Amino acid sequence: MASVKKDPMLQVESTCGSLLYELQIIWDEVGETETDRDKMLLELERECLEVYRRKVDQANRCRAQLRQAIADAQAQLAAICSALGERPVHMRQSDQSVGSLKQELGTILPELEEMQKRQTERRSQFMVVLEEIESITNDIKGQGEHAQSKPLVDETDLSMRKLEELHCHLQALQKEKSDRVETIRKHLCTLYSHCSVLGMDFNEVVNKVNSTLTDPEGPRSLSDHTIKNLDAAVQKLRKVKIQRMQKLQDLATTMLELWNLMDTPIEEQQEYQHITCNIAASEHEITQANSLSEDFIKYVEAEVARLDEVKASKMKELVLKKRSELEDICRKTHMLPVSDSAIDQTIVAIESGIVDATLVLEHLEQHISKIKEEALSRKEILEKVEKWLSACDEESWLEEYNRDDNRYNAGRGAHLTLKRAEKARNLVNKLPGMVEALASKTIVWEQEKGIEFLYDGIRLLSMLEEYNLLRQEREEEHRRQRDHKKLQGQLIAEQEALYGSKPSPSKPLGGKKAPRMSTGGAATNRRLSLGAGMHQTPKPNKKADQRQIDGALSTGRRGLDVAGLPSRKQSMNPCEQLQSPLVRKPFSPLPTTVVASKANIATPQQLLPTPKSNAVNEISAFATPVKDNNSVRNLEEEKLMMMQTPKNVAAMIPIPSTPATISVPMQTAATPFNNARLLPEKVEVVEYSFEERRLAFMLQSESLIHV
Amino acid sequence: MIKNMSLPPPSAGRELANPPSDGISNLRFSNTSDHLLVSSWDKRVRLYDVSTNSLKGEFLHGGAVLDCCFHDDSSGFSVGSDNKVRRIVFNVGKEDVLGMHEKPVRCVEYSYAAGQVITGSWDKTVKCWDPRGASGPERTQVGTYLQPERVYSLSLVGNRLVVATAGRHVNIYDLRNMSQPEQRRESSLKYQTRCVRSYPNGTGYALSSVEGRVAMEFFDLSEAAQAKNYGTFATGGCDGFVNIWDGNNKKRLYQYSKYPSSIAALSFSRDGQLLAVASSYTFEEGEKSHEPEAIFVRNVNEIEVKPKPKAYPNPAA
Repeated sequence: MASVKKDPMLQVESTCGSLLYELQIIWDEVGETETDRDKMLLELERECLEVYRRKVDQANRCRAQLRQAIADAQAQLAAICSALGERPVHMRQSDQSVGSLKQELGTILPELEEMQKRQTERRSQFMVVLEEIESITNDIKGQGEHAQSKPLVDETDLSMRKLEELHCHLQALQKEKSDRVETIRKHLCTLYSHCSVLGMDFNEVVNKVNSTLTDPEGPRSLSDHTIKNLDAAVQKLRKVKIQRMQKLQDLATTMLELWNLMDTPIEEQQEYQHITCNIAASEHEITQANSLSEDFIKYVEAEVARLDEVKASKMKELVLKKRSELEDICRKTHMLPVSDSAIDQTIVAIESGIVDATLVLEHLEQHISKIKEEALSRKEILEKVEKWLSACDEESWLEEYNRDDNRYNAGRGAHLTLKRAEKARNLVNKLPGMVEALASKTIVWEQEKGIEFLYDGIRLLSMLEEYNLLRQEREEEHRRQRDHKKLQGQLIAEQEALYGSKPSPSKPLGGKKAPRMSTGGAATNRRLSLGAGMHQTPKPNKKADQRQIDGALSTGRRGLDVAGLPSRKQSMNPCEQLQSPLVRKPFSPLPTTVVASKANIATPQQLLPTPKSNAVNEISAFATPVKDNNSVRNLEEEKLMMMQTPKNVAAMIPIPSTPATISVPMQTAATPFNNARLLPEKVEVVEYSFEERRLAFMLQSESLIHV
Repeated sequence: MIKNMSLPPPSAGRELANPPSDGISNLRFSNTSDHLLVSSWDKRVRLYDVSTNSLKGEFLHGGAVLDCCFHDDSSGFSVGSDNKVRRIVFNVGKEDVLGMHEKPVRCVEYSYAAGQVITGSWDKTVKCWDPRGASGPERTQVGTYLQPERVYSLSLVGNRLVVATAGRHVNIYDLRNMSQPEQRRESSLKYQTRCVRSYPNGTGYALSSVEGRVAMEFFDLSEAAQAKNYGTFATGGCDGFVNIWDGNNKKRLYQYSKYPSSIAALSFSRDGQLLAVASSYTFEEGEKSHEPEAIFVRNVNEIEVKPKPKAYPNPAA
């Protein structure tokens, strides 16, 4: 072989040629036919052609791949560049000829790689931002922890611009978050302040809004909802604060008023200084802890209530004081006091808060000043009345003194009584004039005032009149006594003349002295002092007095008169006094002679079963009746008597004794009576039972219905 | 009020159904059964069977019925403001008029001893009637007896009749001789007589007055004859309380819980086991609004009514 260092092709050709030469030799040897040789040569050509073709295809394919790769890479690069919005650093121009494909590929690939690297970086940057945005959004939305899904990156836009946008967004979100945090913080601060002032539990309140806010560790909710609620809570508490503040200020005002009213000492007021100093404060000025807590307000309320009570009781005291002042004045001037029940009711009303004590006080004050005026006008007359009454006292003292036979006996103090007697006599002489003057003054006063002058409820003029009458009667009585004594003297003298001896003088009835009625200050006693003399000694002709007394008497007197009535009733007439010198005790049995000699009894007056007489003494004390054969009792008479029965009052009913039995003291009484006497004077007071009244009412209402 | 520790708190008693619709003037237990006759201002007389709490009969009269009493279990008598005296027959539901007074008749009693109906009226008379007489007012009237005043209450025991009138008169009659009273008395109480009741043992009577006091009297006035055994008795007042008293010791034994209204009438049953209480406003304060009428029937425990032996201190004090 010729080792030719030539073109490989030539090399091949030589190799092929030699091979062919070899082949021909073979074939020659073999003896292959021309056809067969042609066939084999054709085959050989064909096979060689195929091999060539395969290689060409392969090379073609290779070329295609390369082109593809370049195209791909270019496409990718374009995509990335558009997404990133950038070009690779060493970017070739698109129309630049780059030479062979392989060269081109070689150029593109690094570019691609670079861009890819950049893309990845960019993508991760985006991721970071997006994640952060997501996180903050979550925080703001308040969704708390939840599965962090990878945020989606928009691959088509990875440009810096977009990144910038996202960064801005992120910043905005961050700002918002911090704003919210700040808001919440501020709200919480305010809330804390309010809670402190109101005495509420801060944690409890905040917890109610949102539990995350109190958790020091975990993330706080920053949602709109939370903030709204928090804001609402703050507003609410503010309102409460204002409310309580106003209440406290009202209480403080009340306190000041009460202190003012009652002149409370400064030490007491100092204790509440911290409250009253805030009386005009506005809401934001009140910051002290617990200064508006419920307990504190209650404490202040209690104090105000206490002050109120003190005021009420002081008022009450005042009212009572005024009332006693009023009563005092009335008593001193002998005016009838105001009805107690009205004032008592008022006091009850004050206590229960119905009536304002101040009004009552005013009313009382007015009343008092009115009464004082009246008292003043009465002064003069009252002085005269006092003089008159004391003169009356002296008069009755004198009467008694005159009756005392021992009065001229020298004893201790006898000279004093003598002096007193003389003075009394002078006074008694002046009495009529005194009474006259007093009466005329009273009349003038009454005319001026247009009302009656009342002394302890009784008309003064009536009292004076009564006194005059009594006086007259007494003088008559004295005269009669003197006449009687004269008569007696004559009789004795006659007897002496006849028999030569004097019978022992009968003891005057005055031997039994009744105890003097005290002349104490009470007017009732005074009024009786004149009559007392009459009561105690059963002098005759009291009956006449009695009748007049009935006419002129006031109720007060009447009662006492009545007590004396029975004694007077059973007293004896002048003639009998001689015969039975003993004074009869009240309610003791009647001697028969009295009944038998009833014909002697001058007037029927002594036997008045006055219906008005409340026999406050027990009926059991009545005299046992005596069998009176004279009395003819028929039912008619009884009926007549019964008609006088007073209503609901135990009366001294003159029931005749029953023939069969002796009546037990408590059950019956018998006094002879005179028909004609009774009827005209007595007031017919008929008693009715409940059933009678009920029937009358029923009939009346039935008749009204039918009318 | 006595607190009796061993017994449960006292109740007012069983309330009867269908009480009268206006004031109750009186109520009575029958002598032979647990029937209760009730007279009322609503013009009706009602008969109740207490054991079954049912209304057995009702009679409408011309005016308010002021009193009623039993004759026997089949009939009774009633009187009222229409001045009539009636006999009412329960089962048959019929009534006839025995007679009339001139004014409202206030009380009625039946005397088993005399076989007569006794009535007292505000016309100041007491009349006796024979219910067996033929119908026709004139024939049944046996007698008429003038009283000092309007009759307010009467009571019978044995042959004695006690009449209490206005003006505090008390007349005591022997039914066998009504021509005049056996005794004429005056109430020892100071106020208007409200009611008179004789003791079951016939030795005397109790008088009550509008003041609220009770006086115990005896028929026989001699000291020796007076065994002074007052026994125990019940009183009812306008204060709504029913009190049980021991007359001998003059102490209150028991007080039942307050009834809604004034006690208008009381009646013990024949065996003393039951007490009927009429709680009904008695017009003591005139016309005014008041609780509705009610009738209570309560059991009477022995411990409430037995006088306490003197050896022990009396808790009622």
